[in-house]
Amino acid sequence: MFSRWNWVACGFYLVLNICSPDASSGLVQSCGHIIPESPVLALGSNFTALCILNESCLDFGNIYASQIIWKIKNRLVPKEQYREINRTVSSVTFNDTSALATPLTCNILADGQIEQNIYGITVTVGLPPEKPKNLSCIVHQVARFTYVMTCTWNPGRHTFLDTQFKLRYSWPEEIFPDCIPKDVNNSCTITDIQFFVNTEIWVEATNALGKAESDHLVIDPIDIVKPLSPQNVSVSSGVLPTVLKLFWENWISDAVMKLKFNIRYRIVGDTNWMEVPSEDTASPRTSFGVQGLRPYTEYVFSIRCMKEDGEGYWSDWSEEKTGITTEDQPSKGPPIWRIIDTSHSPASWTVHLMWKALKPFEANGVILQYEVTVRDKSSLSSPVKKYNVTSTNHTLQLPEGTYEVTLIARNSVGASPPSVLLIPASNSKAPVKNLRTLPKHDKLWVGWTAPNNYVLKYVIEWCLVSSKSDCNIEWQIALGDVKGIDLKGIKPFKCYLITVYPLYADGQGSGQSVKAYLKQDRPSKGPTVQTKKVGKAEAVLTWNHLTVEEQNGFIRNYTILYKTIDGNETVVTVDPSKTEYTLSSLTSDTLYTVRMMASTDNGSRTGPDFTFTTQKFGKGEIEAIVVPVCLAFLLIVLLGVLFCFNKRDLIKKHIWPIVPDPSKSNIAQWSPQVPAKHNFNSKDQMYPEGSFTDVSVVEIEADDKKSFSEQDLKPFDLLKKEKSTSEGHSSGIGGSSCMSSPRQSVSDSDEGETTQNTSSTVQYSTVVLNGYRDQTPLQVFSRSESTQPLLDSEERSEDHSGGADSTAQRQQYFRQNGGQDETNTDRPCFERTKQITHAGEGDLVGFVQLQISGQSSQPLGLGMEKNTQEAALSSVLQTCTEGQTVRPETVEENPLSVDEMPKSYLPQTVRQGGYMPQ
Amino acid sequence: MAAADSPSAALRRDLCSRGIRLAGKMRADVVDLLDAYVEQQGLDASASVAAVEGVPLAAVERWDEQTGTQRLLENLAAYRAFRALLAQMLEEQREQLGEADAGLGRALAAVLLQVSAFAYHLEELLRLESRGIPGAEEDGPPPPPRLSLFEQKLRGLGVLRELAQWAVRSVRDLRQLAKPGPATGAAPGLAESP
Repeated sequence: MFSRWNWVACGFYLVLNICSPDASSGLVQSCGHIIPESPVLALGSNFTALCILNESCLDFGNIYASQIIWKIKNRLVPKEQYREINRTVSSVTFNDTSALATPLTCNILADGQIEQNIYGITVTVGLPPEKPKNLSCIVHQVARFTYVMTCTWNPGRHTFLDTQFKLRYSWPEEIFPDCIPKDVNNSCTITDIQFFVNTEIWVEATNALGKAESDHLVIDPIDIVKPLSPQNVSVSSGVLPTVLKLFWENWISDAVMKLKFNIRYRIVGDTNWMEVPSEDTASPRTSFGVQGLRPYTEYVFSIRCMKEDGEGYWSDWSEEKTGITTEDQPSKGPPIWRIIDTSHSPASWTVHLMWKALKPFEANGVILQYEVTVRDKSSLSSPVKKYNVTSTNHTLQLPEGTYEVTLIARNSVGASPPSVLLIPASNSKAPVKNLRTLPKHDKLWVGWTAPNNYVLKYVIEWCLVSSKSDCNIEWQIALGDVKGIDLKGIKPFKCYLITVYPLYADGQGSGQSVKAYLKQDRPSKGPTVQTKKVGKAEAVLTWNHLTVEEQNGFIRNYTILYKTIDGNETVVTVDPSKTEYTLSSLTSDTLYTVRMMASTDNGSRTGPDFTFTTQKFGKGEIEAIVVPVCLAFLLIVLLGVLFCFNKRDLIKKHIWPIVPDPSKSNIAQWSPQVPAKHNFNSKDQMYPEGSFTDVSVVEIEADDKKSFSEQDLKPFDLLKKEKSTSEGHSSGIGGSSCMSSPRQSVSDSDEGETTQNTSSTVQYSTVVLNGYRDQTPLQVFSRSESTQPLLDSEERSEDHSGGADSTAQRQQYFRQNGGQDETNTDRPCFERTKQITHAGEGDLVGFVQLQISGQSSQPLGLGMEKNTQEAALSSVLQTCTEGQTVRPETVEENPLSVDEMPKSYLPQTVRQGGYMPQ
Repeated sequence: MAAADSPSAALRRDLCSRGIRLAGKMRADVVDLLDAYVEQQGLDASASVAAVEGVPLAAVERWDEQTGTQRLLENLAAYRAFRALLAQMLEEQREQLGEADAGLGRALAAVLLQVSAFAYHLEELLRLESRGIPGAEEDGPPPPPRLSLFEQKLRGLGVLRELAQWAVRSVRDLRQLAKPGPATGAAPGLAESP
């Protein structure tokens, strides 16, 4: 029973202790503690901690040192580092404190492996302070009587601990309060500084791991003073134009510290300082006269000071003060040069004198005016001319000659030495040799080799070459012993023309020129190329030179790049002086793209692309083809013409059948109104030769059928066949026409045999039915194709033909007119008949009279109207066959006078031209 | 010459040089302080002040006949007295004005430091002379009687005036000591009038 209560009390006690580990001195006592308590450890050192259990816990909690486990920030420390010293003490050892962390706890592994914390400590790891190094001090003067001393040092490595630095200083018998740095660890400022006593100064660094002290610095603060710079500096000009006097005040009395000074000065606008020699200002003073200055020049001054013996530091430079020296007479004459304009008249010069304003250090004041004196050296008697000029140029009109021009500049103090310029009649002396240029940073150096003769000076002219404006000449004079000068103000990428003239004592040498660039760049644009001429395998390219503004440098070469659309680019380099180039070996009828590149020493620029297409044929190829062809054609034509000429009759018959001229027909003279006017007496007059060259009059004997051979009938057979296969324009009229035109039919048949017969084809025919010779035959026209009044029989036949046929005939007529030539020979006879019919209505063209002997006088046309086409054809054949015996002689044998002609308006065609009125 | 080359001679020369400059600066500072003191205390700059008790007078007869040791001892006694008097003045100044006129207090403190520094120089020189340094108490002035405020101001004026004069004398004394020659302690100084 007792044992049970004992365990309960022990457990309660243990829980209280464990739950309140920090209450060892409080209400509840802890079961143990760690030694050392919250140590500060050196980084890298070894460390051993002890956990000591209270005896009371041993009794009540039944816990021992063997149950202790150590933890670093909840990480178990390996048990190899534990050591059980006795039943209540356990130690843990760390060979390197860098492995430590906070907190380090001592814990008990109680029954049931329950881990209970006994105690914990905070471990701080760091480094002891290093010895401060490089201690140095400086005393700053902050006011007239106020000095502060600032000492700085190197605090050394970081200690990871709170490390305090303090600056200590003392006299042998007096120790001053320490100087504690604020916010920094490497400097401190002491305010109560006393001079002339050696003061011992050192730095102490202290932290939890130790203390370090710097080397002691023993120094009199007066020896490390940086005084304030002199104040109230003023500058006054003296009597001399080369002297300025400076005045100032010092912050430190001589009793405290004697000072020495530095005085620096520069010309206003110049950045380079000059200094008064230090030995001149090595003693205490409050003023100094600076000598050797330029007259009429504004200077800037500044002063600084330090302890006379050189101990300590220089003060800062004082504020800058300016002063101007007084004027002096100009030290030299202005450089003078001239431009002679002889454009108006070679014998009369326009001399532009020009001179440069003196530089400030040469003018030594304000130049009030220039005095120009011109003396004619070629004429001793001529007076000296003087001009007072306020500008820097003057123009004179002088006759050609040798002149001496003298120029003097004046200011308020005096005149400059004269500048003399000799203007000789001609510049025939030796020029400079080997003129060359060389860029030097932003200047362009111009060098030359001197002529053999002694040269007084050189004049260097230069101007910016421009394509838009004239060369604006600038110039400069160099002494005779100079072999080169630097030209200033030269712009990069611009072309300059530089000319050098040597001036001799007795004349002037001719100028030598050179073009130069200060700096080159690639051209600003490329050349624009185009073709001048394009051939089959070559193309002439042309381009313009780039303007000098576009060149940006010397054009070293042009490069032509050309290619086909899918081909490789070909590159050709061209001399820069050329503006034309011929590309050869090109492919014909091909599109080429060409561009051009201009190159300077510093790069290239390509111009726009240009395309062209080579020609398909070369020069002369077309001519070589066309000319022979034309010649051949002409030859053929010629041969054809010759052939046609030779065969003109034949062709004429085929192409241009002779159409009788109705106006010349004597039927016109038959007009009933003027019958007496017809003259039929002369056959030649009525039928001139050629009018009816091949008119055949066939006299057909009615009973002479048998005289026709089979050969003669063939054409009719052919006609018959054609009729049978034709389109069937078988009208009564047509049939009637053919029937009434046996003459024509015969002619057609003749055409198939001889060309002579072809030409005898006539459009109009008159069928004449012969009676007996001594009888007037009964004249019956199968149809009338004349415009003349119709015969009764014709009128009757027309009455029978009906209006419909008449309309059809009229239509055919109009079609006929369009192709008259063709119809003359080949057209079926019925068509021609229609034509005649219509022509007869208005204008009588002509007739062919066909006399058919022994034939019935029945109108053929009427009969044909009633027949079918074939029947009509057969009738034609029959009629034509019957009419083949017609002879012209028959007509001639029966000439009739006009008076004897019956007024039947029946023209008769006779061979050898004549109508035979019946 | 041998003495001039020894470290002690160099140290003596350095101490003399530094003491001369310190005395010169001290005089300049005291003169400036006098002006500020007269103005701040409302005194007349031309007011005559009786000799301050406990302060040896700078003026001395047969000055050029004094030995170097005598000069050093008189200077040391004087500056120890000034050190005590200035410390008292500084205390009285703080009591009267508090922090109202910190400038004057700082100037007084600076002069006090200079006086201390000069006394240190003198002690070092005496050591080089192989002479014993008298104790501070024996040469120090007796405790001053309790004075009225005006009397304190007049006394302060007298202290500063006498200190200025002593500064001038000290410069001359040290220059005399700095001159190379036989033992400074025995022979009288060369004919150099102060």
